[in-house]
Amino acid sequence: MIPISFINPLSDEGKQIVIEDGGDLERIYDENTELIDTIYSIKAQEISDDSLIPKNYSDLVIKRVEWFVKRKGDPEYKHKKYAYLFNRKITKFDTIAFYILCQAIGIKFGPNSRESRAIVELQGYLTENRLEELLTSERREITQQILNNLIVQDRIRWTHLADLISSKKINMQDLVLKDGDVILDFEDFIEFFGDVIKKRQPEKMYNLFIGNRIKELIIIKMIMQKTEDYIKSVHQRANIIEPNPKLLKIADEVSEVLSKEIRHYSSFSGREAVKASPLNYDQFPPCIKKALEGIKSGGRNEVIVLFLTPFLSYSRLNPSVFRSNTTLKVSDADPDLNITRNEILPMIYESANRCNPPLFDDQPQEKININAKLGFGMHDDLSLQHEGETHWYTPMSCDKVKMNMPSLCKPDDICKRLKEINPLFYYIDQMKNKGQ
Amino acid sequence: MLEPATLEERRIYYREEWDITQVPDFIIQSVENREFGFDHFGKGPNDRYKVFNTPEYLKRFLKAKTPYAAYCSVAFYEKPRKRDGWIKSELVFDVDAKDIPVRTCGCDDVCEICLGEAKEIVKGLIDTLKGDLGLKNIHLVYSGRGYHLRFLDENVMEMNSDVRSQILKYVVGADLPRDKYDDDYEIYNLEHFSIPFGYPRVFTQRVKYTIEHLTPDSKLDDVNQKLLKDVLTNRNLLERNQWGLFKTNIGPIRYKKVIKAITSLNMGLVDAKVTIDLKRILRLPSSLHSKVSMRCTEVKNIETFDPFRDAVPDFVWERKG
Repeated sequence: MIPISFINPLSDEGKQIVIEDGGDLERIYDENTELIDTIYSIKAQEISDDSLIPKNYSDLVIKRVEWFVKRKGDPEYKHKKYAYLFNRKITKFDTIAFYILCQAIGIKFGPNSRESRAIVELQGYLTENRLEELLTSERREITQQILNNLIVQDRIRWTHLADLISSKKINMQDLVLKDGDVILDFEDFIEFFGDVIKKRQPEKMYNLFIGNRIKELIIIKMIMQKTEDYIKSVHQRANIIEPNPKLLKIADEVSEVLSKEIRHYSSFSGREAVKASPLNYDQFPPCIKKALEGIKSGGRNEVIVLFLTPFLSYSRLNPSVFRSNTTLKVSDADPDLNITRNEILPMIYESANRCNPPLFDDQPQEKININAKLGFGMHDDLSLQHEGETHWYTPMSCDKVKMNMPSLCKPDDICKRLKEINPLFYYIDQMKNKGQ
Repeated sequence: MLEPATLEERRIYYREEWDITQVPDFIIQSVENREFGFDHFGKGPNDRYKVFNTPEYLKRFLKAKTPYAAYCSVAFYEKPRKRDGWIKSELVFDVDAKDIPVRTCGCDDVCEICLGEAKEIVKGLIDTLKGDLGLKNIHLVYSGRGYHLRFLDENVMEMNSDVRSQILKYVVGADLPRDKYDDDYEIYNLEHFSIPFGYPRVFTQRVKYTIEHLTPDSKLDDVNQKLLKDVLTNRNLLERNQWGLFKTNIGPIRYKKVIKAITSLNMGLVDAKVTIDLKRILRLPSSLHSKVSMRCTEVKNIETFDPFRDAVPDFVWERKG
């Protein structure tokens, strides 16, 4: 039987493991022979190189992060180097490592940091990969068990998934809904839709549309949400309790691994990656050109702050954002912030001044909002010290532009050819065509 | 009818015809938490941030000022005067007859036909919002040029713009459903019309509505006159839900083109900005829409509601006489 905490460390079983372990943070750097022996006992694990084997909890935390970055970005990723992460024997150690990791990141970087987002994503990805390695029967059983634990009622209302829908972890259109309930049970499915399904077997349709797929999706996303919530709660408590220096040290090590690995893999993993280069007005899509002219009617704030700021900053600093699967900070691409200050902000400010009335005349606070959308918190100045307090907003999709600022969206032939997904793709496409 | 009301007619309306009891309970019960806005000169609602602690104050204001238009927020605030302390907002869908992407009437403004089409769209939205999403506490308001569908369901009122935008896309059918599904063994191609539940079913209903209302003058992205003509010729098949045959007759690639174009058109069935804006102000039910001389009216029974009978102020009938 699969331990629940192997898939969901935040379960009661997972919490019990931590309680029984005693939670002594002083020994997280001490060699743990039980851990080492367990890993050596896993047949699928490559043991030829000693550096592949974590020796203590700190190593295990780092290995988890390293696995995540390599799995996503390294074309030469070797699964057998991390096979222990997918073996249930590791459950106890992995659960404790999970809590150490979340606490370290929560204390040092907080819930809105790049590190926190990476850890949440890591946990989701790890859960997904662990489920994939199970036998079908085990997979179904554990999914149902976890779902029962996560959801108190017999049926889930879609409104209970609002956080997941809001953060786009779940797409509403993937859910089968009836009277507000998310249909997950086979019996419910047959009761509600059995009669209307013609020419196909209802059982088949259930397996295709719901089966284990939606259930797994829900538990993965709920675990991600709960990880995020846990990091947040740790961060709040950290303001009251003196942080353990060992946790702070691990947090720095995790951050270093993320930065190092991301820099390494993003330099060659993007098969069609575009190099960051000075902005070229001629290659901008029509909506951006229009926004740069300034907005003459309502919606100035949205256009300048939410639309133009992310587009210009990502176009200049990280045009491959949607390809790389990794989260960068502005300073990862612009360490001294000179490009941001001298090239990007002036362009945003000029457009703001071209608005009617000029945006900052009546709403000077929007300069702070622009800094916030670049990831530098709600501050007057752009300072590295505040980076990570807010999230660097990614460029708005064409869908969102159409919905929020329809007057800007006048697609030309290039937009249509590129299927109107994101204005950034237009810019990348044009820059590539011009060989820039 | 549908002519602007004069200043004198506005006075007659608010002082003789209108009464505070005509404002629906769902507004009256929360009057102190809402922001009110007024348009006094027909130039837009620039008298905003108004607050009334009791319905009586609202009544006195309307009778004294007889505004060109009156609005109130969909949002509830702790401090509505500053639009501060947001508590929650109604979930709103605004179907304006003038802005429906396909109209069979071809009129320049609004007429009986496009108002009827707006009503049909609203009925479809209500079916999905109730049947799929299970939403309750629904209030339908005839705005004067279309309909406002207002949900005061506590389960959704605290939801943010991102969730509202997903609800919107779900109910209008604004995204192409995927056509590949897999179980543990195989991948299957399934067209939206062969799936009688979930989002594909909603999508099929909206696409069907749009196709049924296309005219030879309709403009669809990437669909030429020949293809549009073929769609119009074959659309009778959809009355009997013979989608497979419809697709075969059109041709599978051309069918894809049509569906894609309609998907983007569907977004225009409602005014998306109104749905995602948590601080929107909407025309106050019972107030006068002075541009067309019609009463913004809460609709109790959509089946029997006729705007040209139920939302016409007395002064308009007298004007005719």
